[in-house]
Amino acid sequence: MAPRGRFWLILWLGFALGVLAWVNARQTASVMLARDVREARTARAAAESERATLQRRLRTAGSREVLIPRAEAQGLRLPADTEMVTLRRAPARRR
Amino acid sequence: MARAEKRLWVVGASLAVGFSALVLRAAQIQLLNGGAYAARAEAQRTDSIALPARRGAISDRTGVPLATTIEIYHVGVDRGELRDPGSDIPLIARQLGLSEREIRRRLRRKYLHLEGPFMAAQVLPLRGHPGVYLTSDLIRSYPDPDFARAVIGRPSEGGRPSSGLERELDSLLAGAPGQAVVIKDGRGRELESPGRLQQFPVPGHDVMLTLDATLQDIAETALSEAIDRLRADGGDVVMLDPRTGEVLALASRSARGASTTNAFTSVFEPGSTAKVFAAAALLEADLVAPADSVWGERGTWVLKHRTIHDEHPEDMPAWMTLADAIAVSSNIGTVKFAERLAPPQQYRMLRAFGLGAPTSVEFPAESRGLLPQPDRWSGTTAQSLAIGYELAVTPLQLAQAYAVIANGGLLLRPALVKQVRDARNRIVYEHRPEPVRRVVRLDVARSLSAMLRGVVAEGGTGTSAALRTVELAGKTGTARRVGPDGYEPGEHTAVFAALFPADDPQLVTVVKLDSPRGGYAALTAAPLTRRMLEQALAARSEGLDRGPMARETSAPASGPRRRDGGDRTRHVVAWPPTPVADSTPARRIPDVSGLPLREAVGRLHRVGFQVRTVGLGKVIGTTPAAGNSAATGTVVTVRTATRGGP
Repeated sequence: MAPRGRFWLILWLGFALGVLAWVNARQTASVMLARDVREARTARAAAESERATLQRRLRTAGSREVLIPRAEAQGLRLPADTEMVTLRRAPARRR
Repeated sequence: MARAEKRLWVVGASLAVGFSALVLRAAQIQLLNGGAYAARAEAQRTDSIALPARRGAISDRTGVPLATTIEIYHVGVDRGELRDPGSDIPLIARQLGLSEREIRRRLRRKYLHLEGPFMAAQVLPLRGHPGVYLTSDLIRSYPDPDFARAVIGRPSEGGRPSSGLERELDSLLAGAPGQAVVIKDGRGRELESPGRLQQFPVPGHDVMLTLDATLQDIAETALSEAIDRLRADGGDVVMLDPRTGEVLALASRSARGASTTNAFTSVFEPGSTAKVFAAAALLEADLVAPADSVWGERGTWVLKHRTIHDEHPEDMPAWMTLADAIAVSSNIGTVKFAERLAPPQQYRMLRAFGLGAPTSVEFPAESRGLLPQPDRWSGTTAQSLAIGYELAVTPLQLAQAYAVIANGGLLLRPALVKQVRDARNRIVYEHRPEPVRRVVRLDVARSLSAMLRGVVAEGGTGTSAALRTVELAGKTGTARRVGPDGYEPGEHTAVFAALFPADDPQLVTVVKLDSPRGGYAALTAAPLTRRMLEQALAARSEGLDRGPMARETSAPASGPRRRDGGDRTRHVVAWPPTPVADSTPARRIPDVSGLPLREAVGRLHRVGFQVRTVGLGKVIGTTPAAGNSAATGTVVTVRTATRGGP
């Protein structure tokens, strides 16, 4: 009678311990995952802010307000329409 | 013994009462008040937070970003929690680009808040640092802050968009915020936890504008340079694709360099650029033959109530046809021809060209301009209207009207939004040309276009706009400027409206300069137009198809086909995409009952009516009633359920 009762007690304790360990592992994994997600989000935000900064620099550097004075300082100028030749694409030959 | 038993009974009874009290109290807490206590505990260890939605991006027609949303941070430092202030403070100062001494000084208090904003890259090394707290926020970023500033708009102090397309398209761009529950510790700090997401934030839609970044850059730079050089009070440039109604560039600047919304909101008398509308009415009604001519009066024509002058009469033919009158911009010739028109005819044609009504472009607070109805005309109004006075237009309205001539006679609604995509990159809106009405017959549009070529040809007033390789059509206009006390002596508005190229135009440009010191439009606005078009031709702009303008043929395409798209045929537009309204003046009044007021007004405008509103809210009916026919330009009164206003 006594050994049987102890057996059930150990079984139930073991089961409870297993459930607790499972819950703990799940919680730990969730917390780790949440941390990873947050870090990934931060990294993405950092990349996006870097992209925005670079876009701003590109737009400024490529604008006519900046480019034309620099080009003129190098002795360049905007072409008149007579100095541009637009080529008409010839129709493709039939095979 | 009896006494001992009695004591034992008292102790037992006391224990029983005490235990019963405990049980009852426990039952009260657990069973009766359990819900309230559970809610209190939940409130203490959790918090409901709003998850902001990412605002949609705005880009130009080629995908160049004009407005984006980025995440920024505010930083808090708790002095007591820093593990090693000696090394932590220099790190914080270095990362945030602040002075170490300043941070030490401000950290004399227990907690330091640094508003920033700081970029994510700056605060990344500080994340997880004990004693450093980061709060994120989403803000709007404009890669080129001055680029199309007034068109795009800006947020107000409170963060809500207050102007421009940011305001007009706010419902599309804003998205919907989400909600989540986070766990807090005993001190109220949020713990690292997966969070219980109750509602995902829905990002806003991305909007692609019709603007072409290259053409916009050309317009803004050329306009600023011209305003400075000519010491003008301000100016506007509008570039429109007449085949689709898409606005490719739109720049407005004041003399101080500020970007304004004048192209939508500020009206001016168009002067001689409006002569072509009188010519349209004459041709549409077959009231003039190509060989008809009128006497030029040697530059001064004295009438009963006024005297009409022509500038430089020595350069004008003594007898002039309608085409001559347009080419040399003769006030006398135009007025003499326009006298053949009845006032309703003249009014209907101006109204059909879109004058006196908002264009319905996607921009808040657009001006409708000014066009008096015939019953309010004085004895000289018809003459004034023929030469562009006693009416007022916005630069965008003028560009829309010239686009009618360019595309063969159709009035198209101008558009600023080309495409809208949702967060999953699905297209939810794509602009298609929206014909409002047919204004003139195709043959009339061609005749008008031919007249406008004469303006830029030898002997015309717009020769300074002429390109040598591509034929241009256009019209100059130099109108007196109105000030608070009437016309201001010596102050003019110089305008040049152009169709580029003259054959199958791809661009309609309107250049307007306020009080330029260089004189007439022929000497100011017209050369500026030429400079902009030269730059547009030289630029790598997708907005222009240079194929039809090509003069020479490249080598036969015998080699392998290029894979970079260089050999593709661009700008294939199905035309017209939908059946359009005919030119019959009388139109059926649509049924707008039940529609929101804004939508109802837009629908009536598109059919060609002027609209007067009474009250706010949903529309309950119109006067004249739906189903009746009325002439274009008729004022339709829209009645709403909620009476209000004047």
